[in-house]
Amino acid sequence: MNTPVLTSTEHDSLHWRIFCQLAGTRDVIFYYEGYFSQAIIAAVSDAVKMRTEHIGTGGMTRRRLFSSFIEMTQNIIHYSVDAYTRDDGEHFNNEVRHGSICISMRDGRYHLHCANPVHHDVALQLREKLEHLRTLTIEDIKREYKRTLRAETPESSKGAGLGFLTMARDASEPLEFEFTPLGHGDNVLFFLKATI
Amino acid sequence: MKNIFIPASASSPEVDFRFDERLLSLKGEAYPENAALFWGELISAVRSFTENDASRECITINVGLAYFNSSSTKMLFSLFDMLNEKAAAGTPVTLNWYHDADDDTIYEFGQELCEDFTELDFQNHALQTDGGHTSF
Repeated sequence: MNTPVLTSTEHDSLHWRIFCQLAGTRDVIFYYEGYFSQAIIAAVSDAVKMRTEHIGTGGMTRRRLFSSFIEMTQNIIHYSVDAYTRDDGEHFNNEVRHGSICISMRDGRYHLHCANPVHHDVALQLREKLEHLRTLTIEDIKREYKRTLRAETPESSKGAGLGFLTMARDASEPLEFEFTPLGHGDNVLFFLKATI
Repeated sequence: MKNIFIPASASSPEVDFRFDERLLSLKGEAYPENAALFWGELISAVRSFTENDASRECITINVGLAYFNSSSTKMLFSLFDMLNEKAAAGTPVTLNWYHDADDDTIYEFGQELCEDFTELDFQNHALQTDGGHTSF
């Protein structure tokens, strides 16, 4: 019996070095890809808080970053179509879904990116909402936030329909988004970016 | 009415509802996975307390939340709506709203509550920051 020989070790460590270098030059302060659960979000939140406190980010920026981070990761938990457990009602409190999140810094500003697969139909709804938000000024956003806070929660929402508005309110630039085909099935990959 | 005490978790606040003392307190951070479930149970408990309460003595609610996510925001709004109705029906309700002095978001949300729920005796308390943690 021959044991397979690992010949890719050098390759692996080279790739790892390149990955670390890229992360360093892009000032990536946090990156995670995989399944998200509430416990993972809470743990990652700690890491994000420590890191931003350590580099001396101001209190309000830190809060805004944290808020957008929570909204994004909870969106992944609630809406990514790549679920580890089926959403059959019973598992509603134990949702685990796949996605990725990245926090980087450039020119003194934080960039939050997230990505997760969504169904094509959901993508259409998201596009409509986000395109609308991009046309609004910060005053419009605050007005719409107030209106939504007092309105009935839309049926499609597992939260309050306030998530994107909260992110748009906390961001210093309009939210950016993109959908890319996944090449199989009815799903597309949804990318969202907030600049704090 | 049984009092409710729920210790804080990483993503949910400490809940200390002492119905017998007419003192309700919330402190910590609130981003529970299922906000409708977490807050829904508390809101039902408060509703059943206010509906069965004939006393006209003041009810006090202390809220020192350092952060709440968007879905909790909506549920908090419902909670204060209910307390506002209780106040309108003749039982004074004091809302002590605590926030870090430099936290505009939580301060502004307090102002929204103050604007909408005019029956509440709204008291704003700006706390000096000690590294982002709110305490009272």
